[in-house]
Amino acid sequence: MTAVAVVPESTATGPRLGWLRERGMGASILVAGLSAAFGVVLVEATVYIGDMLQADPYIGDSGTLAVVVAILSVLLIGMAMYVAAIVTANTFSTIIAGRTRRIALKRLIGASARSQRTEVAGQGLVVGAIGAIIGVVAGLVITAAGVWAADHLIAGAPEFSLAQPTILLPALGVALTTWAAAWVGSRRVLTVTPLQALGGSVDRTHEDAAARPTRHVGALLLGILGVALLVFGVLVGLTTPLGVVIAFVGGLLSFTGLSLGAVLVMPPLLRLVGRAFGRSATARLAAENALRYPERSSRMAIGVVMGVTLVTMFAVALESIKALLAQAAGGQLDPQFSIIMDAFAAVMMVLVGISAVIAGVGLVNLLTIGVVQRKRELGLLRAIGLSNGQVRRMILLEALHITITATATGLVLGIAYGWIAAQSLLGSVRMPPSFEQTAGLIVPAVPWIPVAIIVVATAVLTLVAAAAPTRLATRVAPVEALAVE
Amino acid sequence: MYEDASRGRCRAEGRRNSVEGMEITTSDLGLAARVQNLTKSYGAGENAVTALDGVSVGIRKGQFTAIMGPSGSGKSTLMHIMAGLDAPTGGRAWIGDTEITGLGDLDLTILRRRRVGFIFQAFNLVPTLDALGNILLPFELDGRRPTALERARIDALVERLGLGARLGHRPHELSGGQQQRVAIARALATAPELVFADEPTGNLDSRSGREVLELLSFASRDQGQSIAMVTHDAIAASHADRVLFLGDGRIVADHPRQSAEQIAAYMLAAEVAA
Repeated sequence: MTAVAVVPESTATGPRLGWLRERGMGASILVAGLSAAFGVVLVEATVYIGDMLQADPYIGDSGTLAVVVAILSVLLIGMAMYVAAIVTANTFSTIIAGRTRRIALKRLIGASARSQRTEVAGQGLVVGAIGAIIGVVAGLVITAAGVWAADHLIAGAPEFSLAQPTILLPALGVALTTWAAAWVGSRRVLTVTPLQALGGSVDRTHEDAAARPTRHVGALLLGILGVALLVFGVLVGLTTPLGVVIAFVGGLLSFTGLSLGAVLVMPPLLRLVGRAFGRSATARLAAENALRYPERSSRMAIGVVMGVTLVTMFAVALESIKALLAQAAGGQLDPQFSIIMDAFAAVMMVLVGISAVIAGVGLVNLLTIGVVQRKRELGLLRAIGLSNGQVRRMILLEALHITITATATGLVLGIAYGWIAAQSLLGSVRMPPSFEQTAGLIVPAVPWIPVAIIVVATAVLTLVAAAAPTRLATRVAPVEALAVE
Repeated sequence: MYEDASRGRCRAEGRRNSVEGMEITTSDLGLAARVQNLTKSYGAGENAVTALDGVSVGIRKGQFTAIMGPSGSGKSTLMHIMAGLDAPTGGRAWIGDTEITGLGDLDLTILRRRRVGFIFQAFNLVPTLDALGNILLPFELDGRRPTALERARIDALVERLGLGARLGHRPHELSGGQQQRVAIARALATAPELVFADEPTGNLDSRSGREVLELLSFASRDQGQSIAMVTHDAIAASHADRVLFLGDGRIVADHPRQSAEQIAAYMLAAEVAA
């Protein structure tokens, strides 16, 4: 709040929190709220499971399982927050692109670039705090409902209090990461010059490619090292199950490399998908739009890629393990074991799916802001003969472009990671009938239900992502759009 | 002067009204576009603002017409309605022999795409497409490629506009003058019945501005292209074959080609009289 107070909004520009109504802020609050609620629910669930295990006479106070669950929660919350941070940073950088003129005007009057940036970051903190509060409330409601259900369903459910002080950790984490993300996303403010307030400057098509070679080299190195470890893990896995540990590290490194180097990886893929849409004017415009700000689109897509990859990975890994174990057992898997595996896979898929939902919110938001900021261009296109139907098609294709690229990439990566996980863990299992030969290289088993769910979710995401911008774009009369200053 | 002009307008209207019953067409009158008794007001009740107040005028075929007037005179509104970008509150408008008042959005869009060319003051080009992509856009929106004849015309235009080496450039890689020339090429490429130019030199230095105006008057002189240009710049208007003056939503004068000095003197006198 103090940051906002440094450069107070003048009474002429509206109430002090008027900026919260700006397009994109609501979605940022939603993103922060989602990750905070997710964090709260997971923390509560972890404590609850810990209590339950302690109460169990067989498992007793061997804390190992509770620790495993706790580590898993921390990883999952961390991932959700990471995706939320990417989304928020991206949103803020997009919002600022649309504010250029206003910032330039303040610079012209005498505000320093630094104070302007501090103001934006302060807005991030406010957004993060509001989101965290909403998230905590929502998380508590969900947990209360869950506990109530558990009390009725599970015999001997432990006494449980919702008031766990640890739930403040994810809330605080969300507020702070949103603040940090807004700060990172506001880097652009520093490049705004007072002259830009005077008009006449031509819109830059492409973001100054902000070449940060060090980051790209780092991403590339992580990627190469990660892939090398993945291959090594698979090879080691042919002789011992410990291969999975090596592969796990490889997976972590290569995935981090991918998310850092999204700008290197995604644009070529986007271009490839764009070409598949054909040569019609709407398809070409849509493809070009999706690549207009390569960095923005890449980050917009990478969150979805991460979510889809992880969901697919769990699905494929567990399905492959089941298939292999069934083979090793001579055709049939213990049905009880099979159910446990399926349940675990389903829970994990839902949990990592939350990150995909957060990324989806970011995608919807960014597409909408993107269209709003292109109002004048849409007016021009409408004037020279783009029909409302073509506008609709263009925006739908633009959304489809990014969702298809992200989902396809995620599916391919997820199948690869899932297969590597199964392969490096069980490549050394001895197989019937002689039990002298090991499993060797197996074929990945891809369960179709999760894949179908992902594809349907992608279709829904695309439609939702296209709906709001389409409504905005087709409602605008060409004359009105051309008059936008 | 205002008085004279409005009397002139009444006479012209009287002439036109006398043939109204015979369903005379726009092309019979030698016009590329015309409007009749056009009114446009914004808002309602006490806050209502009248932008156009019973305007009747035609844009002659093959001529370069300038529409002048001070800010708020209604000149942009007139152009927007004539070009099918906006709907009037009352009155009728034609492009060629097609009455555009009452047309649906899709019909209007297709009409603009095929039969009207546009040159705006700024932001004329789609930033994601290169110069050639922008020039070909009206064809591609129509779902077709230019015919051999159209291709030849585009090549000639590109040559004449000196854009040959720039076709692969994106708008932000072009100077303001080059961007306007690409816009001219796009507007002329489909050989539309009418080209509307809205302050086409407003954002240019005087030399680039002069080039743009010479290109427009060449297109009208040499290829018989009908052009209507909205401007408040006397020098720009002096390139036109005919200068229409708007004031308070009415046509207040209709002059043949004039020098910049004459136009400026007229505008000054009108300003003082107001």
